[in-house]
This record gives sequence, C-alpha cells and structure tokens, in this order.
Amino acid sequence: MENLVIFIPLLPLLAASCIGVLHLFDILEGEKSERITARIAQTSIALSCLLALVLLGTDLFAKNNDVFIVGEWLKVNDLSIQIRFFTHGFSVKLAALFSILLFIVTRFAVNYMHREAGFHRFFFILSLFSAAMLMLVLSANAVGTFVGWEIAGLCSYLLIGYMYDRQTATQNATRVFITNRIGDAGFIAGIGLSYLWVGNTNWLEIGNNLAGQLSNQQAELCALCFALAAFVKSAQLPFSPWLARAMEGPTPSSAIFYGSVMIHAGVYLLFLIQPLLAHAPLVSTLIAIVGLLTAIYATVVGLTQTDIKSSLIFATSGQLGLLFLECGLGFWELASWHIAAHATVRAYQLLTAPSLLVNIANNPIKPVNAYLAKNTRFYTYALQRFWLEPLTDLIIVKPVQRLAGDLNYFDKHILDKLMGSPAPAIRAVSSLAQAEEQKIGAHLNNTDDSFAQGSGLAGCVTQWSAACLHWFEESFVLRGVSKDAIDYGRHLGRIANQIELMLLKPRYLALFVFITLLVAF
Amino acid sequence: MNVATFPMLSLILFLPFIGALAIAVINSVEAAKKIALITAIAELIATLIITFSFDAEVAGFSQVERYRWIPNLHAEFLLGVDGISVLFLPASALLTLITIIASWNNVNHLSRLHFALLLILESVTLGVFTALDMLLFFLFWEATLPPIFFLIGLWGIGAQRRSAALKYTLFMLFGGVPLLFAIIVLATNHATQTGELSFSFPELLQTPMPDNLQLIVFLLLVLGFAVKAPLAPFHTWLPTIAMQAPTQLSALLTGLKLGAFGLLRFAFPLAPQAAAHHAWIVALLGAVTLVYAALIALKQTNLRELLAYLSISHVGLVVLGIASLNEQSLQGAIFQLLNFSLIASSLMLMAGFIQQRFGSTELIHLGGLAKVMPKMTAFFFLFSLASIGMPLTSGFPAEMLLIIGVFKNHLGLGIAALCGAILGASALLMFIRGAFWGEITHENIKQVSDLRLREWLVLGVPILLVIIFGLFPQMIPLHQPFHPH
Repeated sequence: MENLVIFIPLLPLLAASCIGVLHLFDILEGEKSERITARIAQTSIALSCLLALVLLGTDLFAKNNDVFIVGEWLKVNDLSIQIRFFTHGFSVKLAALFSILLFIVTRFAVNYMHREAGFHRFFFILSLFSAAMLMLVLSANAVGTFVGWEIAGLCSYLLIGYMYDRQTATQNATRVFITNRIGDAGFIAGIGLSYLWVGNTNWLEIGNNLAGQLSNQQAELCALCFALAAFVKSAQLPFSPWLARAMEGPTPSSAIFYGSVMIHAGVYLLFLIQPLLAHAPLVSTLIAIVGLLTAIYATVVGLTQTDIKSSLIFATSGQLGLLFLECGLGFWELASWHIAAHATVRAYQLLTAPSLLVNIANNPIKPVNAYLAKNTRFYTYALQRFWLEPLTDLIIVKPVQRLAGDLNYFDKHILDKLMGSPAPAIRAVSSLAQAEEQKIGAHLNNTDDSFAQGSGLAGCVTQWSAACLHWFEESFVLRGVSKDAIDYGRHLGRIANQIELMLLKPRYLALFVFITLLVAF
Repeated sequence: MNVATFPMLSLILFLPFIGALAIAVINSVEAAKKIALITAIAELIATLIITFSFDAEVAGFSQVERYRWIPNLHAEFLLGVDGISVLFLPASALLTLITIIASWNNVNHLSRLHFALLLILESVTLGVFTALDMLLFFLFWEATLPPIFFLIGLWGIGAQRRSAALKYTLFMLFGGVPLLFAIIVLATNHATQTGELSFSFPELLQTPMPDNLQLIVFLLLVLGFAVKAPLAPFHTWLPTIAMQAPTQLSALLTGLKLGAFGLLRFAFPLAPQAAAHHAWIVALLGAVTLVYAALIALKQTNLRELLAYLSISHVGLVVLGIASLNEQSLQGAIFQLLNFSLIASSLMLMAGFIQQRFGSTELIHLGGLAKVMPKMTAFFFLFSLASIGMPLTSGFPAEMLLIIGVFKNHLGLGIAALCGAILGASALLMFIRGAFWGEITHENIKQVSDLRLREWLVLGVPILLVIIFGLFPQMIPLHQPFHPH
C-alpha cells in the first residue's frame, strides 16, 4: 500500500505535463477542448485525493512505516539525496486535507473559469501546483520539500500574472516572486548547512542527529535559515506586503494559494524543523515575536480595509501570525489543529467571496472601528499599511538599484577604458575632415602630446606612465612649487573628497559591512 | 569497429576540417549548407560514440593517441579524454549543430565562408578539449581566435563589429601570454627534475615542483584562464561581443566556457599544493564576479547584454565551485558548464530570433511579446527558469551541488553566491516582465510570426535535455574529476 504514496504528487504532475504539452502544440485550444482539460485535471487530483485518504486510513490503523524510500535522485560521494516520502504522522494528515481542498477548488474552477482566455493555462498551473504542494507536504527529504516549495512559488507567480497584459498584475507577480526568492535562498542555505553539519538532508535524520552533533550556535543558525524561508512563504513581518499584492489572480487561485494551502507551507516547514527548534531557543523566541507582531499588524491594517479580498487576506495574515506564535511557544498540537481548521474555513470564505458580494449588495457600510476612528493618525498609519513596502524600497531595493547603476557606469566607462581596449573608429572620428587629418597624421587641434601612442593594455600602461611622469616633471619638477602645483594639489584634494563622500553614502557603507561580514566567516 | 583502438579523436578533429575543405571546393551555397549540416551531425554521432564507450572505471586517460610532432622539443601530437573532458565533446558538437541550423537563413553574404569557419571553430574547440600535450593545447587555444575574429568582423550585427573583433582578439592574446609562460615554466621544471623536456600533460602531473614555482605557475594559469572565462575585471569583452557579434557566435561563446574548463583541467591539477593554499584567491575572484555581474545585469536594457552579464555571473559561481575543491562542487561545476551549452546558448539564440524579427533586442522596442508569440514566450520562460535554477530543470541539481560544495569550504562566499543568485533572477524576471508581458507597445510587434519549424528544432532538443537531466540528474555520467588534497 505504502508505495502508492509516490503517485499522490505524480498524478497531478502527469496531468500538468499532459495539459501543458498538448496546449503548447495547439491540440488543447479554445472552448471546445475545455472539457478534456477539465477532465484530465479533475481525474488526476481526484485520484490523488483518494490515494491520500487511503494512505491516511492505513496510517490510522498503524499499518505504515515512518517513511517510504523510492530511490536515489542524486549521489555525489557522501552526499546522497533520496526521493523519500512520509507515510506516517502529521504530513499524511495534512496531505489528505490539502488534496481534498485542491480537489474542491479544481472542481469549482471548472465552472468559474469557463470561457476565460487562459482556461488551459489555468488548469496546467493548478495541476502543477497540486503536484508541488503534495510533494512539499509528503517529501521526507529537505531537497524534495524544496522542489515542491519552489514550484509552488513559480505557480503563484504565474497565477498572479494570469492577466499577463495588465501592468499591475505582472508587476505584482514579479515582486512577489523576487520576495519569495529571498526565502528560497534561506531554504537552500538551511539545506546546505544541515548537510554540512549533519551530513544528511533527510528531515528525520536532521531532527534525530541534532542533539548529539550540533552545537547550540550551529542549531540556531540552521534553524534561522529555515525560519527565514518560513517567514517569507507565510508572509510574516517584514515580508507581509507580498500577500496583498498576490490578490491579482483569479479567485480560485487566491483561495487555494493564499487562503488555504500554500500560505501554510511556512508553518508546515516549522513543523518539519521542530526537533531543530527544540535546540534553538533564540530562533524559537524570534518566531514567536515575529508571529505576534504580524498578528497585531494584520489585525490593525485589516480593520481599515474596504474590499473583501483585502480584508480576508489580512485576516489570513493575522491567523498565520498566531500560528507562528503558537509554534514559537511550542504549542505544536494546538498549531496543527489550527492549520487544519484555518485552511478549511478560509478556502470556503474566499471561494464564496464573489457570491457573498452579490448577497450583501446595498447593505449599509460597517462603521470604522471606534478606537481607530478616534485616533486619526493611527488610522492613517493602518490605512497606509505602516508604509512597509515603501520602507523596504527605501532600505533595500533602491540602494541596490543605485549601486547597480554605479557599477554599470564603472564597468562601461572606467573599467573598459582601464583595460585599454581599442575604441571603435566611429567614436574617434566625427567628421570627414578629421578622418583626413588623421590619415596624414596632422592632429591639428589635438593639444595632448601624441608622441607616444599605444593600444592594448600594455601599450596604454606605457603611454599613461609616460604621460604621468611627463606631467609630474612638467608641473612639479620643472616649475618648482609654484601656484600651479598648489592648484593641482587642490584639484586632487577635491577629487579625493568627492570619492570619500561617495564612499560614505549608506549603500557603500552597507556594502562594506556586508563584505566584511562575509569575509569574516 | 573497435572504438578503443580506432583513432576516434583524430577523426573528430579532422572531420570538420574535411567538411570545411569540401565547402571551399564546391561553389554552391545550398550544397555548402548541407555539407555543413551533415558534417555537424556526423561529428555529433562520433562524439556520442566516444562518450558512450568511455569507461569511467579506467583511471587516467582513455582513447589516447600519440604521434610524433616536434621531436626537438619533445612535443607530441597527444590526444586523450578523461572524466572531465569527455562530456564536453558531445556538448560542443551539439551546440555547433544547433548554431548551424540557427544561422541557416540569416547569413546572406559569404555564406560558404561562414559555415566553413563554424566547422573550423568546432574542430579547434574539440582540440582544446582533447589535447594532452601542453604545446598542442596552446596551439588549439590560440587557433580559436582567427575563426572567431572573422565571424565577428564579417557577420556581426552591431555597427562596431570590427572594433569588437579586435577587442576580443587583443583580450585573448593578452590572456594567452601568461598561459605560454606557465607552459614553459612547467616544461623547464620537468627538464630540471628529470633531465628531459616534456610538454605531456600526464607526465607533468607526476612531476614534482618546488612550492614557489607552483605558486607562479598557478597564478599565471589563473590569469590566463580568467580572461577567457571571463572573470572580473577581465570580462568587458563579453558584453561587447554579445552586442556586436552574430548571435550564433555569441551563443557559442556563452555556451562553451573554455576558460572555466581550463581552470578545472589545468590550473588546479598542475599546481596542486599552490592550488590548495591559494584557491581562496580564485574563490574570491569568482564570488566578486558573481555578485558584480549580477548587480550590473540589473541595469541592462538590452537582452543580449543582459544575457552576457548573467552568463558572467554564472561563470563566477562555477569558478567559485571549482575553487572550493570538493567532490560536490567540482561535479556541480562540470554539470553547470554542460548546462551552459544548453541553457545560456539557447537564450542567446532566442535573443537572435527576436533580433531577426524586430531588428532590436532593446527593451524599449519590445513589449507584450507574449500576446503574439506565446510559444516563443513559453520557451524563453522555460530556459530562463532553468538559468535561475528552478527545480525540474537541469539548472537545479547543478546549482544545488555547487552551493552545497561551496558551503563546505567557503561559508561566507556561499551566502554571497545566494544573494547574487537572487539579483540575477530578478534582473532576468524584470526583463521578461517588460519585454514579454504587458500590453503590445508597438504596431510592428503585431505582425511577427511565432516560432518557425527550424526554430522549434533549435530549441526543442535543448529543452528536452534540460528537463530530462533536471528530473534524472544521474543520467549525466559525472565522473570523479580529480582528487583534491
């Protein structure tokens, strides 16, 4: 029975590749083939769901081992990455719940997406997402979980940008994806560290071998990397704003991604590293604090929202904050029930949101919370979502962009010239007269000393050193210390000042601190 | 036919030359194209035979061929392959075949010369991968320059192609000097140790060398290969080439990283002690290149230049992996180098397809391409995902191995590499957003056609390989490169 677990993520993956390839070759196209696409997607997720329930059943009768090992995915020397699945415990329960939700949403979307332009694309992405999510939950190897994690993030990018001709949609999609990459980097770092210190990437081994092998600092660092990934994926502070941006996609995708399934991936990751967190009290505290702050932040901001999707999403964010708080404090049992309950309720709420709007049309608008109404300043803060996003822009995005601009200039205008590469003829000659002049070697209006001319690196170096020495002799040695020298000195001083001012700009300071930290490792 | 005794390596070296000669003799453009195509296919089959008959269990070099060449200098015509180089043979043969198909219709003048030069370039590139005599290697290394010089200068798409060709050649000549010095030092050291001059790579590997000499050799080799790789600050030729050269040649140059191969094959094994002590210099150079190029990529508005900087950034990661000197990072480096010939080159070729349609790859001339070219968009997006290391593509296992390997030796640089990867990914995604998504910005965009059959062929094979190797990375027979000390 156990070996059937491999089919739970595999079936939706097959469905996705089937739809994707057929759509690419124009075989599934337009309204006529909608039924086929829908049937492929529905059948695969229904079967997966059935298998997940069977797996859960056999697990409840205690027929399963802890893990089922399929085989080796990659082996290099002592690094062995196995494809292995959990067949016991919380993961199986969550897989069963998620597969039911995925099935419901797929069924819901068949009608909801009818006659939409990207019908086939939508079901391709939804099937791929189902596969990724089930892989994420069931994989007993960190790399396998990461595969699901990344693909789920990719699907979220594709669905936020579902209306790819709308400027805001694609802008939001790109922003969300890049924010998520930060978390992914944390995840990879976590995997790398656990291989480095534990010698293994299987979750159970990472958990079991920790107590004996890892010093406290190592456990903290490793846990911090995974926690970073969890913070980003579950939209905890300071990464929360991406969640509101993600509401661009079609409603079924909002429901399944950000309401119920994918958003819980971060909390699930905390469950996976639970033994690690037991050895990392500092990170646990951090998780609790971040969770608490997010809960407060989301509640306050949520009170000022006026459209249904935003208020639901801030409510979700608040609940996730509470989940992180529970995990940080060690109430795992409570958190597990909380995840299940929250996923179910929120999926229902988001799916019914459009019809709810129809039902409550013309209802009087609910007044603003009394406390907020009194404190107008606080109300403005909440309405502006505490400027979290402009703040990130100011602190990270813009300095990086400016640094990139500076380096681009340096690369194109300074480094290229330093290398002494030949300049294209077009740049050098601007008129026919000048070309003629160059041909006869007249250089009439050329004031510099053109006696020594070189090309290529060595040539230029020679030429420059000759010019420098010449200049030095001309202005200092021959004329002695006169007014010229003082002028030159002032000029040099001014340039030095400018360079120093530039280096004192925050982005360079931050860069230097960053480099120092990296080298210090 | 017994593969082990048949001189297969000489065959693959001379086959493209024969093809080029045939093209020179036959005075018909159509026939010349067909000859080039058939030669490239035959070459691919031959390299695949070599790869499949390669036995990883045999230590040292296999398929060794030894002929007299310059007896006075004890230089021989010595060829052979080992676990490092064998996989690059089919990769470069496949890449040449793809570039020949990709340039089938877009070379209008001197077509015969163009295809002949591509074949000659293939031949000397394979020579670089198979030569086991240092002088012979150097000969092939420098022999790559003339075909590239003419390919850039004659068929370049930029206005400044002539000066770009000159720039490339000057850079490479500059890089060649330290290599030649290093080779001479190695040979004379062999002479002082054993009393006989030798340029044979397998023999030089066994020759003991004093530490200070090792350091000199190591630094010279690193300098020489860094120019070709390219590593910062010697990278400025690649963006110029990407803008000026014909895209099929840019694809070849971004796809085949001879410099990184040279580091892996020669610089580290020939000076093992110095390499072990001073690998951190190379690692630092790699990390700086990685982050620096990724940052600059953020500011690029032209697709070809963007791809050039991203490719530099990826080379940075590979070099960082090579300098980390453990099994994971070395195999990741080889894996990633093979990936380049599939992913980076395909992206560059697609930039060529876009250039052919619109006459520009500048962001301001593009916008909303997804509407009119959904299939091209799908392919471009897939290759971009592979290039940023998305799971289910071959970019993922390679990057995973590299990062894990780098973590083992240089934790801080590994974290810098992760940051650089985020920057690189955002550069590519932001360009995709501007060029492919959004509304159609220009009228002429509406009139172009989607992928043609020839272009399907060019992209189809690499994408299949990318997905297959991504799902089953064990299918690439990665052998133990060399054992670090």
